[in-house]
Parts: sequence; structure tokens; C-alpha cells
Amino acid sequence: MFGQTLFNGAVTGVMIALPALAVTLLFGVLKFPNFAVGGMMTVAAYMVFALNAQLGWPLVVAAAASAVLFGGVTIALDHVTFRPLRERGGITLMVASLGLGFILENVARFFYGSAARSFTYELARPFRFFDVRMNREQAIAMLVSAIAMGAMYFLLKRTPIGRAMRAVTDNPLLALARGIESPHVIRCTNFIAGVLLAVAGVLVAMDRALEPPMGSNYLVSVFAAAVLGGLGSPLGAFIGAIIIGVASELSTLAISPNYRIGVPLVVLALILVFRPQGLFGQPYIRR
Amino acid sequence: MNAPVLSVHGVHAGYGAGDILKGVDLDLPRGTILTLIGPNGSGKSTLIKTLAGLLPARQGEIVLEGRRVNELSAPKRVRAGVSYVPQEYNIFRNLTVLENLRLAQEFMGGVRGRTPLRDELLGLFPDLPGKFKALAGNLSGGERQMLALACALTAEPKVLMLDEPSAGLSPKYTTDIFEAVKKVNARGVSVLMVEQNAIEALRISNTCVVLANGRVRLNAAADKVLEMRDLQSLYFGDVRAEATAS
Repeated sequence: MFGQTLFNGAVTGVMIALPALAVTLLFGVLKFPNFAVGGMMTVAAYMVFALNAQLGWPLVVAAAASAVLFGGVTIALDHVTFRPLRERGGITLMVASLGLGFILENVARFFYGSAARSFTYELARPFRFFDVRMNREQAIAMLVSAIAMGAMYFLLKRTPIGRAMRAVTDNPLLALARGIESPHVIRCTNFIAGVLLAVAGVLVAMDRALEPPMGSNYLVSVFAAAVLGGLGSPLGAFIGAIIIGVASELSTLAISPNYRIGVPLVVLALILVFRPQGLFGQPYIRR
Repeated sequence: MNAPVLSVHGVHAGYGAGDILKGVDLDLPRGTILTLIGPNGSGKSTLIKTLAGLLPARQGEIVLEGRRVNELSAPKRVRAGVSYVPQEYNIFRNLTVLENLRLAQEFMGGVRGRTPLRDELLGLFPDLPGKFKALAGNLSGGERQMLALACALTAEPKVLMLDEPSAGLSPKYTTDIFEAVKKVNARGVSVLMVEQNAIEALRISNTCVVLANGRVRLNAAADKVLEMRDLQSLYFGDVRAEATAS
């Protein structure tokens, strides 16, 4: 029972990890918490649905195409929504992101209604791995998240654009003085965040259901994970997500599963009180 | 006197509504060191940031090797040959020493992967190679300054601008920094330096410019300024001292 709960928690964690990574990358470079990520996950998942269930593309192909396409959509959303407000500061951008998330969720609702839908793919029986019961969607979620995290590690540590993204996160003004063009870095960050959110949208829709509030349902957990890990720290986002996922699932051993949603909120409150910079973040110094 | 590599004509700049720089004119002759001194709030750092492209010039002209660069963004100015080392926060703390150097090589427009350049730089800063894998944020103040200087030089700049390079450093590192600046200058790089440690800075400089209230109050040869008895007054922008120098 404990092992199964722990595994379920890890699966929940890896599903939170990708959007948490998107949040932390966007925060690191653009310096505001982007609450539109929930709505963005939802719209990306519906894009996959359109290609897969409506046009008949295989799910893997539809997901890959949507991920790339949604990377472009994220750049466009930034261009239209956030770029004109960039000079107004983080609070304005945060409020704009709340509005954008609300709009995106309702665009999905407008076109597809509120009923839950699912992708078209062959269902498989759950299987046992040691004492743990696992279904194929969970295995796919673990595998895809592991690949995505590995790719992100490689990108951030081993490529010039990844180093530039970390440099802008570290010190935006110095980045300019070191020849780093911030508009290019912003575009790349948005593209990568879009890809991560699209992949996360597919994984969540496969594990749970494809419905308009699917993204916003995850928003608290995603932000709790990003804040716990330390906003701006990709490794922190991943570890924070696993902790939040496992803590949420383990809580069901002691309290009703209905209250599981409260766990990320409690963690978020505790971390903000006792270690606002998170596990791997830098303390904020007002200059 | 050499032809100026960098010229500033009537530059106004500032933050918010008011101007901090109120019509600054100066020339940086090629291959020389110019030290900019003046009291707090005189506009030294504002001028250097404006030249680096981090603050727009509201009026006036900035000319690099005969080409107006006002419209160039900070990254483009770096690639045009102007390297700037800020006073604080001048390295990426969460990147390793090697990543800081690599990033500079990738984005600042120097000759990529030119091994002799790297060897030359590491010859200037012998402490750095042993710390390649260390997080830059864990370096001492002097080592950070050396790393910042090494990064700025990776671009093989025509003009190197240093904002208070010796601020907060021990006497040993202060000497090392000025030695490094001298060696850099000997390689043909023109240096514009804002420095509180005026006497040490002037000893290695060709020209001294005193800025007060956003205007140039004195532009004279560094050795002449060093000979002045009321250097302290001059440092604080005292007009009487200007008369002595001129």
C-alpha cells in the first residue's frame, strides 16, 4: 500500500515537473509568475486532440507536432500579451497572465464544450512491477518526463542558448553587457516552455481527462513545486514537483483524498514563511 | 596625441525625468588609459553605462572609431568593440568560472575558440585555471574581478570600460588589478576607468577627466594631475583646483 502510494506520488510529481519547469524557466528569464500556464496546457492538449481524434493522426505524431506548434503559439502569446507590458513590472504581467489563462481555458470551452474527452489510442492492461501496479499511461508519463528533463539538463548545461538562458536568469543587466540579446533568449525560453506545457498537457489528459479546467486544476501544485524548488531553478522545479506529488499522495494515507489538494497549499505557505527562496533558489536581495 | 577611438559629444543622460549627464564631451585616445574621477553622484557610472548602451543618451553623440553608435543596443556595442565591467554583480554567480568564460566567448563576438587568446588571458589571470569548475559566486572579491576582466577581454575589445575595478578589494588584489589593466592596455586596448582609488589609477593612466554635476570640469594629463597638491579638492570637483591644473 505504501509502495503503491509512493509510486502514484512519483507519477503525479513527474506530471507536475514539466509545467513547473516551464514556470521556473519563464520566471527566471521574464521575472514574473506566469499563471497562464494552466490555460496554456489545456489549449495545447486540445490541439493534440484536434490532430489525433479529429484528423486521425497517431497520438505520438499529433503530440510531437502540437508541441512544436505550441512552442510557436507561446512565442506569439508573449508577443501579443506580455511584450507590450514588459516595462510595467512583474505585478502587471502577473495580472495579465491570470487574464490570459482565463481566456485560454474558455477558448477551449467555447470550441469543445465542458464535457471530458479523451485521445484516440489503444488502451492497455495495467501491469505489475514488483509490488506496484502501474498502467501504461503512468509508465509513458515517467519515461517522457525523464527524457524531457534529460533534454532540458543538456540544453541548459551544454548549449550556448541554455547558458544564455541561465545567464539572463542570473543577472539580466550583465547579460546585455556580455552581448546576450535578450529578445532572442526570451523567444527561445517561450518556445521551450510551450513545448514542455504541450507535453505536460498530453500526459495529464492521458492520465486523467481532457477537459477545460485540467490545466488550472494543476496550477496550485505546479506553483507550489516551482516555489518549493526555488523559482528560477530548473533542478529545484523537478525536485519540488516530486516532493509535492509524493506528499500529496502520501497524505491520502492519513486524510481523505478530497483534502489532497490542500497539501500543495500548505507546503507553499510553509516554504514562503520559512524559506522564501525555496530549496535551490537564491535569496532575494532588494537593490 | 593618438586619434580618439571613442568620442563623446554633448551627451545628456539620466534616470526618470532629470538629466544626470548634462552635456559631457570627452575623447579617449587610442591605446591610452583614461581615468574618470569625481564626487559621488557626479555621473561617472551613468556615463559609463550610457557608453555601454545600458542607458540611452537623450542628446549628443557617441562615436566609436568614427561611427555613431547611439542607436546600437548594448549587445551590439559589445560586438562593435566596447566591453564593460560593472562595479558589482559583474559575473554570473550561478555559473561556473569556465561557463562564464565560455559564455563571453560565445556571445561577445571575439574570435571563437582562439586558443592563443585563451592562453594569453589565463597568463594574465593565473589564479583562474585552477578554479574553472567552481561556481563564480563562491570566488573571493578579487577573483571575481579578475574573472569579470577576463570575460570582458574575451571579446578582444577596442575599448574596455571598468567601473570601480578596485572597489572593496584588498591592497594585494588592488595592485594585481591595476597591473592587469596595464598589461591589457599594453596589448593595445584603450581603457576608460572610473575609480575612487584616484592616485593608484592615475599612476597607470594617460589622461584624467574630472566629472562634477554631470559635466566635465577638467580634462588633463594624468601625470600633471598627480603633481597637483590639491588633488583631493579636484577629486571633489572643486573649481579652484581646475585653475591650478590648467
